[in-house]
Amino acid sequence: MTATGRRLAAIFILAALPGWAPQSALAPAGAEAERIALLSWILFGGATAILLTVIAALALAIRGAEPVRRVIGSEGAIRWGGIVFPSVVLTLLLGYGLWLMREAIAAQTPPALRIAVTGEQWWWRVDYQRDGAAPVREANEIRIPVGREIDFALRSNDVIHSFWVPSLGGKLDMIPGRINTLRLKAERPGIYRGQCAEYCGGPHALMALEIVAVPEAEFKAWLAAADARNEPAEPKVAAGEKLFLSAGCGACHAVRGTQATGMVGPDLSRVGGRRFLAAATLRNTAENLAGFITDPQVAKPGALMPPFAIFTSEEMDALTAYLGSLR
Amino acid sequence: MSAGAQMGPVTAAELPSSLPRPEGELERLEAVWKGPRGLRIVSEVNNTIIGYFYIAVAFLFFLLAGVLGLLIRLQLAAPGNDFLSQETYNQIFTMHGTVMMFLFAVPAVEAVGILLLPQMLGARDLPFPRLGAFAFWAYFVGGSVFFCTLFFGVAPSGGWFMYPPLTGARFSPGIGADWWLLGIGFIEISAIAGAIEIIVGVLRTRAPGMTLARMPIFAWTMLIFAGMIVFAFPAVILATILLELERAFDWPFFIAERGGDPLLWQHLFWFFGHPEVYIIFLPAAGMVSMIVPTMAGTPLVGYRLIVVALIAVGFFSFGLWVHHMFTTGIPARSLGFFSAASMAVAIPSGIQVFAWIATIAAGRLRLTVASLFVIGFLLIFTLGGLTGVMVAMVPFDRQAHDTYFVVAHLHYVLFGGMVFPLFAAIYYWTPAFSTRPLSERLGRWAFGLIFAGFNIAFLPMHLTGLIGMPRRVYTYPAGMGWDGLNLVSTIGAFILAAGILVFLIDVIRNMRLTGERGVGDVWRAGTLEWLPNHAYATRSIPRVRGREPLWQQPNLARDVEAGGYYLPGTATGARETIVTSPIEAEPQYIMRLSRPGYAHLCAALFTAAFFLLLTVKAVMLAATCGVLAVASILVWMWNSDPPSAGDVDIGGGIVLPTYASGPTSHSWWATVILLMVATALYLSFLFGYLYLWTVAPDGWPGQADLSSAAGAWVSLATLGASGALLAGARFVLGRDAPRHGLVACLLVAGGAALAGALFIDVAGHWRSGLRPQASGYIAMVYANAALQAQMAAAVLVTALFAVARLLARRLDRSRRAVFDVLMLLWSYTLGQAAFGLLLTHGFPRLVAQT
Amino acid sequence: MLVLAGAVLFAWSGVYNVAASTGHFRVVDHFLRFGMENSVRARAPSTNLPPGIDESLVRLGAGHFHAGCAYCHGSPGTPISPVAASMLPPPPVLTERVGRWSDGELFWIVKHGLKYAGMPGFPSLHRDDEIWAVIAFLRRLPSLDRPGYRALALGEVEPEPQRGMEIATGQTEPDATGACARCHGAQAGPPSRLVPILHGQPAAMLESALRAYANGERDSGVMQTAVVGLPDSTVRHLAAYYASLPRPPASIETIDQAAAARGEAIARDGVSSHGVPSCLGCHGQGTAPDYPRLAGQPARYLEGQLAVWRKGLNDRSATGRIMAPIARRLSEAQSRDLAAYFASLAPTREAPQ
Repeated sequence: MTATGRRLAAIFILAALPGWAPQSALAPAGAEAERIALLSWILFGGATAILLTVIAALALAIRGAEPVRRVIGSEGAIRWGGIVFPSVVLTLLLGYGLWLMREAIAAQTPPALRIAVTGEQWWWRVDYQRDGAAPVREANEIRIPVGREIDFALRSNDVIHSFWVPSLGGKLDMIPGRINTLRLKAERPGIYRGQCAEYCGGPHALMALEIVAVPEAEFKAWLAAADARNEPAEPKVAAGEKLFLSAGCGACHAVRGTQATGMVGPDLSRVGGRRFLAAATLRNTAENLAGFITDPQVAKPGALMPPFAIFTSEEMDALTAYLGSLR
Repeated sequence: MSAGAQMGPVTAAELPSSLPRPEGELERLEAVWKGPRGLRIVSEVNNTIIGYFYIAVAFLFFLLAGVLGLLIRLQLAAPGNDFLSQETYNQIFTMHGTVMMFLFAVPAVEAVGILLLPQMLGARDLPFPRLGAFAFWAYFVGGSVFFCTLFFGVAPSGGWFMYPPLTGARFSPGIGADWWLLGIGFIEISAIAGAIEIIVGVLRTRAPGMTLARMPIFAWTMLIFAGMIVFAFPAVILATILLELERAFDWPFFIAERGGDPLLWQHLFWFFGHPEVYIIFLPAAGMVSMIVPTMAGTPLVGYRLIVVALIAVGFFSFGLWVHHMFTTGIPARSLGFFSAASMAVAIPSGIQVFAWIATIAAGRLRLTVASLFVIGFLLIFTLGGLTGVMVAMVPFDRQAHDTYFVVAHLHYVLFGGMVFPLFAAIYYWTPAFSTRPLSERLGRWAFGLIFAGFNIAFLPMHLTGLIGMPRRVYTYPAGMGWDGLNLVSTIGAFILAAGILVFLIDVIRNMRLTGERGVGDVWRAGTLEWLPNHAYATRSIPRVRGREPLWQQPNLARDVEAGGYYLPGTATGARETIVTSPIEAEPQYIMRLSRPGYAHLCAALFTAAFFLLLTVKAVMLAATCGVLAVASILVWMWNSDPPSAGDVDIGGGIVLPTYASGPTSHSWWATVILLMVATALYLSFLFGYLYLWTVAPDGWPGQADLSSAAGAWVSLATLGASGALLAGARFVLGRDAPRHGLVACLLVAGGAALAGALFIDVAGHWRSGLRPQASGYIAMVYANAALQAQMAAAVLVTALFAVARLLARRLDRSRRAVFDVLMLLWSYTLGQAAFGLLLTHGFPRLVAQT
Repeated sequence: MLVLAGAVLFAWSGVYNVAASTGHFRVVDHFLRFGMENSVRARAPSTNLPPGIDESLVRLGAGHFHAGCAYCHGSPGTPISPVAASMLPPPPVLTERVGRWSDGELFWIVKHGLKYAGMPGFPSLHRDDEIWAVIAFLRRLPSLDRPGYRALALGEVEPEPQRGMEIATGQTEPDATGACARCHGAQAGPPSRLVPILHGQPAAMLESALRAYANGERDSGVMQTAVVGLPDSTVRHLAAYYASLPRPPASIETIDQAAAARGEAIARDGVSSHGVPSCLGCHGQGTAPDYPRLAGQPARYLEGQLAVWRKGLNDRSATGRIMAPIARRLSEAQSRDLAAYFASLAPTREAPQ
């Protein structure tokens, strides 16, 4: 193996490391992604071999020995190299591809969990379907149990988006007027980043999400806790809640158990527990939160939330304390 | 040197025209073809001058869009960069794609075709020089204004693929999307005009004896290229019409809530968009098939296989548009079909690659700059093809789609497959037109930088995409593993740009274009474009006996230049060329070509102004310009179709007529091709209509809600009356002593009946309360009416034009090309209108019953 | 070239007398007038006022005329100030002149002003609606006598009976140009439906609105003229004064009940598919004092304001930046419905903070 080859190999191995590239299709953590990653490696290997063959043929054609050139320079070579060989290889590949698709598509047992994800400019509305109870609404961070098939029902309320979490599987578009269902399974606990993959205008680049895969029991407890409501104890937090309601935040954002029932923006019922703000764009700190409220355009140009530059710094403290307390 | 069957030299006695040629013949020929000088050169229509303009402007757009690419790379060089604002970036990447595809790639190959084809085919010019000039000026003005929108921050920002609903009125309220729809729609029309010219040129103006089997591969590719434009572009033109109707009048073709479907756009767009890739690639492959034999000094190995492969690509490419839509949730069964088709298309490309390698092996490759670019092309294009097979695999594509992997793939295919051959072509063909060849030394530098820069820029992107970076993002966070790869790509992009700069320096230093002959055949090539070349192309038009006449027919260049072959002067005192039969290329008649003028220029300017003013909603001004455009076209057409100048002798005992009508004539061919465009447009509409039904059958009316069938019957009967009046006009004109007044009256009455029939139908829909804003279905019904009205308007204008010519005694029983064109147009329109009635009234009833 | 050199020489020599007092030669005067009239006629829009008399429009126009125009052009019963009369050309008495111009021409003159004539343009070039109010008043002007004019322009403000000392020491302005109550009322509500009811609004909102008008963050030629240069303390007092006023009895306005019902749905729930939140979230009872209360405001005022927002104006103040994107997501029809809804509500009064 040449030095370049080794370096290339090193890069590809690095690519398979989730720590170096947290959104990599080559670092699979789900059944679907693993199948595709295997296919990818086969394709890369085959393509490299074919490319090298072509380079060799070209080199021989230019500077090869006369008898070799006579072989390459015949119509027979064109028939073998250009028709027979690709036909065989492509037929095999196609068969393999169809077989892979069969496996991914064949109806299995109905999934244990169905999560509706709706694409919005530029965030993700998430609804956990529950039997006999209203769905639990979340946004931008999707908690799932490890090792279970999950159906994501993908929709859009505005333009076309595409739901893509490379470590778990391929992408599927979210198209107005349609529901596309994507079945994914996380094999290991972990945090898997995803991103909108269909250009949806404005800050399309800043429409990301995280899937947090946790053990089943933990997930169940988390989901069950959705309806619990703690009255703010701290005066600052209580002041923040009052401000949240009087400043009109609740007209766009919902917080379960309060008068805030807005449907325009992301649900904030557990915003304090999320790792990121603004669709996995900003780390969830009080400072970032305050900055985003004061002027969302700074961190996310084009965001549809109006800037609220009307709060004094004490008011902002209270507000962020309140939002941070929502877990 | 040449492996082809060498023929014995032709003796002076065997030449069709006796030598030496009489005094003054050459001077007369030169005088007829002498072009306007100075600023008046803009009125020139000769293919060489228009070809220069065309290539220069296309290359300018390449540079401009390239600069946009560099801006993109600068912005992405580092994570969280704020070099460009988000809105600016979105406009820039949209314009980069749009300009490269519509203002560079297609026009550039069309331009090379316009410049090279007549010379390569042994014609004096293309059959419709003014149409070619019109297409160029329309493209130049429209393209420039379109590009300038960027400087005012009102450029489109919905991506070059313009997916609604993002590009609909609700999510793109500004005029950026309108610029795209009207500007690009207009440039597509110009591309179609060029395609018609190329098809008729390739099929009807080849040198005597150049049968289809002897035609240079480049001409084959241009023929297929133009044919594909004829069938592919109408789909996107229809899509732009529908989206503009939706934006301007709220007809909900793509709005899901009202029975439209966003995916309809994607189907129409990619039905154009995928063939588009091959439209760009095929002529480039054709150039390679011309360069490789010359540089290897041997005829192309596998000529017939290549022709079959090219035709196969042309067909296949229309069957795999869905491979751009693998992630839209289309059922797996259809995905399997399109996956197979997408892979199958790799085989014809494989044939070509191995044919070029075989040709290189069969001869001895001279490593000129042109050869280097060809080798670069072979490597890069092969890799692009291999990644193409990868994305044709549905599971793989579901990861790779819309990531930088695809960005890498498409640049390997398009830059590798089209730009490298184009550079090879420029180095190869410059000596035919320039008094100095380009520098081999600078050329090697240019190649090295471009090749290295390209791979440094785009090879890493394969990985960037697979580790998660989506396309069309204006920024990305640090810590994703993308930083280093992006920086490398940016550095590569600038190396690539440096290579282009070196090339530009070479061009500025060495390229000296002339309307007269260039350095000449420095490569010892075999095809006709290397004959001594003047404004009138070759002095005489040779008889061709093989695929590489210059190799197989000794002394050909000398004899042609001396005037020993056909048509050594001007036979009628006009610019002219020989029209030959489409397959065997036997001379049929002498066609007189248009001279320089301003009517087509005005037509192009006013047409451009019409579309551009419409975009900024200056409706009155736009309408004025539209009328002026039509008036200019009528002025331009008024002097076309000159009367017969009797039969003329072109040498070798061949006496040809100077007028043709009916299926022999070039205008008949052009009209038939135009009607193919119209058919393709209407078929696209039919697809859209039926597609919306499959998507939202519930939104369709029941029996009760339909407008009355009686109206449809009346409309149909009126169409029949129109047809009868037309047939009457034809009968009267064909009589021994036709009464022109009567013909005119019949035409006017028939035109009125046609308009009346359409009006009756639309009025019926309107009276029964159907409003296009209400649903996708009703919008389609009115879109049908709009398409019929568009054809009817063309018929009416042509009919009035024919009436005017009848009255001015410019149209009679024998001088009747205008009437034949009108007949074709009119009959087609009647058929399409009748079909439309059947569709809009019959189909919903059929569906409602079941 | 020669002409140009001559002109420069002429200007440089100082031969030309620029004194306003000497006036123009008759022929020059005619020529200038001729040029001015043709320029206006060529540029003016062909739009006219809608037929019929619109009392709200006339009253709003009168209010602005009194503050902005009367000083130079005089008003019924008050001659042109001698200072203004000494301008060249002297400002015309409008009663005699307005008849010569069409509505569109008057509109153009008021909006853009006249070069070299001392006639200024309108303070906000974006508020055509306010300019039309002035034109509506100008059409009424020729038929007005002094009491009629004062009733329109001064409303409930009646500054007549004053003691000599008050006049002499300037404790009240004799013509009350700056009096808010001329347009907004105090004892009663505003006489024009195009003017908001300030009574009982949160003081903080009134203050920030006044500041936004004064520093140009909110677009209004009328309000900018009225409030520019008011000292901080005045703004505070004013805001507190209006906040403390009891709401005037609701004026009788015919409300389209169907529209109001549609408006109520939007006001309560918003239109989440189009990113429109519930209006009551900010403009209802008990919300933050930064936001105005809309209940009982005249429908025409609300509709006009929403139209201003939709045009993309008013998006520079802190609260304006909140409202601007939301208003732009509303359609014209939705705005109308919302205005009807809020106008149909009984006015409310915030408990003092």
